Amino acid sequence: MKRRYALRFSPTLVEQPIVSKLARTYDVDINILNADVASGRGGKLIVELSGTEENLDASVLYLSEVGVIVSEMVKELLFREEGCIHCGACTAVCSPRALRMNNEAKLVFDVSLCVVCGLCTQACPLRLFEVSNERET
Amino acid sequence: MAKTIAQINEKIKAGKAVVVTAEVFTNMAQEKSLVELAQEVDVVTTATFGPMCSSGAIINFGHWSPGIRMEEISLNGVSAYEGLAAVDTYIGATSESKFDPTYGGANVIEDLIRGKDVRLHARGKGTDCYPTKEIDTWINKETVNEFYLFNPRNAYQNYAAATNSTNRIKYTYMGSLLPRYSNVTYSTSGELSPLLNDPFLRTIGLGTRIFLGGTEGYVVWNGTQFNTRRERNEFGIPKLPGATLAVIGDAKQMSADYIRSAYYEKYGVSLFVGIGIPIPVLDERMAKHLSISNDQIETTILDYGQENHPAVGMATYAQLASGSVTLPDGKQVKTAPLSSLAKAREIAELLGQWIREKRFFLTEPVQMFPKDSFVKPLVPREGGEQ
Ligand code: SF4
Ligand code: SF4
Repeated sequence: MKRRYALRFSPTLVEQPIVSKLARTYDVDINILNADVASGRGGKLIVELSGTEENLDASVLYLSEVGVIVSEMVKELLFREEGCIHCGACTAVCSPRALRMNNEAKLVFDVSLCVVCGLCTQACPLRLFEVSNERET
Repeated sequence: MAKTIAQINEKIKAGKAVVVTAEVFTNMAQEKSLVELAQEVDVVTTATFGPMCSSGAIINFGHWSPGIRMEEISLNGVSAYEGLAAVDTYIGATSESKFDPTYGGANVIEDLIRGKDVRLHARGKGTDCYPTKEIDTWINKETVNEFYLFNPRNAYQNYAAATNSTNRIKYTYMGSLLPRYSNVTYSTSGELSPLLNDPFLRTIGLGTRIFLGGTEGYVVWNGTQFNTRRERNEFGIPKLPGATLAVIGDAKQMSADYIRSAYYEKYGVSLFVGIGIPIPVLDERMAKHLSISNDQIETTILDYGQENHPAVGMATYAQLASGSVTLPDGKQVKTAPLSSLAKAREIAELLGQWIREKRFFLTEPVQMFPKDSFVKPLVPREGGEQ
């Protein structure tokens, strides 16, 4: 699996080979999407880590232990619920059943089940869904 | 004893008419006999709120000074019909904006109903009596003379459900169909749907007064693609799209609660239209039709992945509404509606309220619709008459 993180380094940490250690020890692939690091002051990396869920969790733990501030980058689904006419078209594409019709034929949205796949943004004929820009948690 | 529409109207006037929705009537039928139902209930309200592409509006803009004979017309960038005298037009719901494919005639209609200003751009060649060649101005529903919906084909009697056998997602007017039969979409309000409650159109015809878009409207013709030759099940319900209605109503009085524009991904613009039809319980035979329930209404599931949409199975609305159906190969597939049952219920309730408040009376059709009608395809041919 892949996850994106924002990593914040203090000035002393910038000098250490943290990223290469991560790759070696935890068998994760690291893709640096954005780097803002200079020696002498702290820095911030936006990285995408790919590996097993276990290894990703272990990597995050390791990073926190050495003092890197880690926050996951997420997108979220924005829903203008007040415009909903309860047609149900969005429920056709939502596999995790975050969107479903209740027994009064009304749409219910359970955000905790949403995996932000984005399919409903195209399925809703009233265009009530939007996937937000990625932001830090 | 049989009732007449005139007698029912008398009861409405006296505040004595018993009016229930088709869903309530269906429930009542579980406990009462048809004889009792036909005696006790006078009117059953039916409704639907679904995307109906064959919809549009007639507008008369009023004359410009000096006059213009509009020969090219756009409203917010959406082309409207230019072949209707000088300042009349018809804007079709599915006409698309030149600038934004997600905006179309349906949006113009909704914007006008909401009281918004809409930009009118028109050109003419300039004639002795209509010298102006081009105008660019703004209109809204207060500035125009007439603005009424005239929908050539609405309120389909049953509609096929859709699925997709291919390996890619299909974006259709039946919604987003996931690959490899992963969903089935359907689009009628089942036992609440108008033409499923009067399957032989015994009470609905030319001149029938209805609820349209939040106000009173009328049935003005049979809808286009009116088909009476579909195979019917034992309850008289056609197994594929059957009858349709052409309807008319004053859009100035309508509400965006019951008329709503829609955009289907990679398909185009459509219009959700709210229609409610009161059906008089004339006799036991009507009571029988009106007691139809979702498990008695079947529809065909078509494969929108293949050309000509071959049938892959049948399902009842009870099954479709349950959240999943089983296809003939045994695969259990998730279902999703496309028309809003919640809104249809709201309309059926509202129409009942109007009748109880003596604001809405039933009509005797001026003429009934064809008993035998079918739909011809467009066959390719070369040349004209020799
Ligand atoms: S983004 Fe995907 S998972 Fe979330 S509600 Fe929409 S379709 Fe469901
Ligand atoms: S498709 Fe859009 S309008 Fe229809 S139920 Fe879903 S959110 Fe509501």
